[in-house]
Amino acid sequence: MGSLRGAIVYGLEDVESSHDVLVIGAGCAGMRAAIEAYDAGADVALVSKLHPTRSHSGAARGGINAALGNAGADSPEQHAADTVKGSDYLGDQDAIELFCAEAPADIYQLERWGALFDRDAEGRLAQRAFGGAGTPRTVHAADVTGHVLLQVMYEQLLARGIYVYEEYFAWRLVLGDEGCEGVLAWDLARGGVRALAAKAVILATGGSGRVYHGSTNAHACTADGMAMALRAGLPLEDLEFVQFHPTTLFPSGLLVTEAVRGEGGYLLNSSGARFMRHYAPEAMELASRDVVSRGEQTEIDEGRSVEGSLLLDMRHFGREKMLERFHGTRDLALTYAGIDPLERPIPVRPGAHYHMGGVATNVDGRTEIANVFAAGEVACVSLHGANRLGGNSLMETIVFGRRAGRAAAEEALGKSGGAELGPSARSGGEREIVKLLERREGERPRSIRDELGASMHENFGVFREEGKMRRQLELLEDLRERYQQVLVEDKGEVWNSDLTQALELGFQLDLAVCMVSAGLERRESRGAHSRPEDYPERDDQNFLKHSLVRWSNDWLDLSWKPVTITRWQPRRRAY
Amino acid sequence: MQIRLQVERSDPASGETRLQLYELELRREATLLDCLEQIKDELDGTLAFRRSCREGICGSCAVRIDGRTALACRTPVAELVAGGRLPTIAPIGNLPVVRDLVVEMEPMWQKMRAVEPFLRPTSEPSGDGRETVVPPARLEAVRKEALCINCGACVSECDAMSVSPEFLGPHALAKAWRFVGDPREEETRPRLKGLSGEHGIWECTRCYLCNERCPKGVDPRDAIAKLGAEAFAVGLVRDRGARHAKWFVTSARTTGWLRESELVVKTLGIAVSVTKIPLALRLFRRGKAPLPLPRHKASELQPARELRRIVAGQDRRGAQGIVQGERVLESIELVRAPERPAPEAEDF
Repeated sequence: MGSLRGAIVYGLEDVESSHDVLVIGAGCAGMRAAIEAYDAGADVALVSKLHPTRSHSGAARGGINAALGNAGADSPEQHAADTVKGSDYLGDQDAIELFCAEAPADIYQLERWGALFDRDAEGRLAQRAFGGAGTPRTVHAADVTGHVLLQVMYEQLLARGIYVYEEYFAWRLVLGDEGCEGVLAWDLARGGVRALAAKAVILATGGSGRVYHGSTNAHACTADGMAMALRAGLPLEDLEFVQFHPTTLFPSGLLVTEAVRGEGGYLLNSSGARFMRHYAPEAMELASRDVVSRGEQTEIDEGRSVEGSLLLDMRHFGREKMLERFHGTRDLALTYAGIDPLERPIPVRPGAHYHMGGVATNVDGRTEIANVFAAGEVACVSLHGANRLGGNSLMETIVFGRRAGRAAAEEALGKSGGAELGPSARSGGEREIVKLLERREGERPRSIRDELGASMHENFGVFREEGKMRRQLELLEDLRERYQQVLVEDKGEVWNSDLTQALELGFQLDLAVCMVSAGLERRESRGAHSRPEDYPERDDQNFLKHSLVRWSNDWLDLSWKPVTITRWQPRRRAY
Repeated sequence: MQIRLQVERSDPASGETRLQLYELELRREATLLDCLEQIKDELDGTLAFRRSCREGICGSCAVRIDGRTALACRTPVAELVAGGRLPTIAPIGNLPVVRDLVVEMEPMWQKMRAVEPFLRPTSEPSGDGRETVVPPARLEAVRKEALCINCGACVSECDAMSVSPEFLGPHALAKAWRFVGDPREEETRPRLKGLSGEHGIWECTRCYLCNERCPKGVDPRDAIAKLGAEAFAVGLVRDRGARHAKWFVTSARTTGWLRESELVVKTLGIAVSVTKIPLALRLFRRGKAPLPLPRHKASELQPARELRRIVAGQDRRGAQGIVQGERVLESIELVRAPERPAPEAEDF
């Protein structure tokens, strides 16, 4: 092991770098932030564990919401009202109003940057109807909107020559007298710890879906930024709110588009009955995501599933419609479930899709530490409150990515002198890595990860309940204990993803504890947080407020902060 | 389902390469990526590969499977081992290997950057500050190219790149068309001029493997063809590659066949062609090329002329790939190859 330590500690002095602004994560939010910081005159670079165009923003399909009014009368006020209602009144209305007002100009800018949005017959941007919206508001590029935006962001990054530390795995914020002094990252391609100094840091690492076994999220969505913020002492907001998508394909967890239900697909239980008639007699399969997910989960819990799945039936579409309109879905089912939906229904179940909660920020992405910012799914502004509307998250990456980029640049440019990191910062990180690599015996991450994912579904899934959540906290304690002896089998330096995956598991375990702790304390049902057994109703008297979780002195501290209400008083949420 | 496969492993320090056999039990609908994940989790934590989305969107996991490039996450593993085959998984081609299945992508990114892949509208935004109004059909010209996920499958398969490493290649050229063909782009001609030079459009050998293997239907070779057509349309016809292409058409139109001996002169010019005479003589002697006289002529000229008429009739929209496929298919009587017999049912 001597040689290993030598290479890590002494071999790489020449790669230390410093920047005004460092953005961690290169999805839509991160790249938009970097572009804005650059345009504001800052020296900016990105750090990403993936090449930017591999980021999970690219998986967003449906579209991006802005009140352009191209397909019917619309206004930012209407967009805001829909978003407030969708959030089950937990969204901060000042943030929502600002978001909806600024969204249209951002869309026009994206178009000008080259985004290939679909057009209407007159050549204007087409807009489609989406769940929870009163009017067609969602701008789109076929079913690859996220992909198109991710490419445009990367193109604009290249146009400016902004540097990306590609395949650098950031895992720790370095704190000092001046707040955050930079980040530590493991260089995947070459091996070794890199210390990157910055006057301001923006977290844009995306979501945490991989905390659950069944998730639509990519392997990379492991809560990195949320956990880094937590470990730096920052509060995480509304972590109990996770959106479950009702049609994720078993066993892969891949998303089956909502359009299948939109076009008349049936959801059947084990006896072949369209069970949604018990949960939404009018809308049936077309009810909103949370309603359908809850209907499915009830069927599963009451023993009317087929090995834990419900059946999505498209056979009545017929061959022509299937091949023409649902070629992609059929391909998905054939490739990942080995089933031809022309012949048999496909197995689906609710899967973790989007984390409404995250690092607590204001509308400029600012956190409690003056020079640490966050934007995108990692952050909680709070725009989505207790439930996100489809099409709002892509727009969030752009609006709040831009705002965080601007604020971070101003913060950094207001500071004199260069960013610096003391030598002790890196050596601390190196000790952590070497300790992990030197361990010769222990448990492989796989079993811990599998137990984490399965138990989170079981005990903190679509439905929550006191007893299960307490059990889950005990189980998480046990998993965290076992994680202390996690075994990294790969001792090499070049492309050691065994190491980074072990570090990711550490992030996920920390975050899971926070999620369940917040869920336990929220004794009501609101949006995606549903407690039918013990607290079935929304309780505005006691819980019209955001939960805040932070680590302090090895203890989880839970507190609350009020919701900002400007124009819309809470009412019953019904569609 | 029992799986056996070999993975090409390489040691980054020594550069040595070896095949390693893995045997494992997997669920029937597992993909090759699931298989690699399970190997890493349970059998061998040192196996290095890239992956993220596991649904063919992020472009991380392209590998070569018995020589054919594909995304690991889109490949059902049952198909690979059907009939008791032992598949070999190797890193993609035409890029240096870093470790195991991980290759250095930087040469590919460099070429992508070289084509300046970003829109350059020079005019002012429309008066009302809103979107540029563009007829939907005109955006169709770049729709396929915009689907590219940068997985490198086309680069891996490109014959021209393996011979001429400086060739821009299918990935960068498809990206180039994404902007050249965009109706909002205003730097079209300078772009085409740059792309028409050495190692550009005309270095493609038209093997069509990029089209064949692209997992997203980008059809890079079609993009290269569109670039060529557009270069002609704006008068960039003096490059050797362009002259070569032009002579193909002239030759086919006038005699229905390609006249190789004249092709050399038309492409290279008289002065350079003279230096090729010894090569030409060797080719004639071996029967690799017909003698220049008498003129090589097809017995029937009509089909070649008809084909040219169809293509020419499509105008610029045809060249941009907007109508080409459909119209040509409508106009040509297809002779179908006999269907291959169905493979025997496998027990998986």
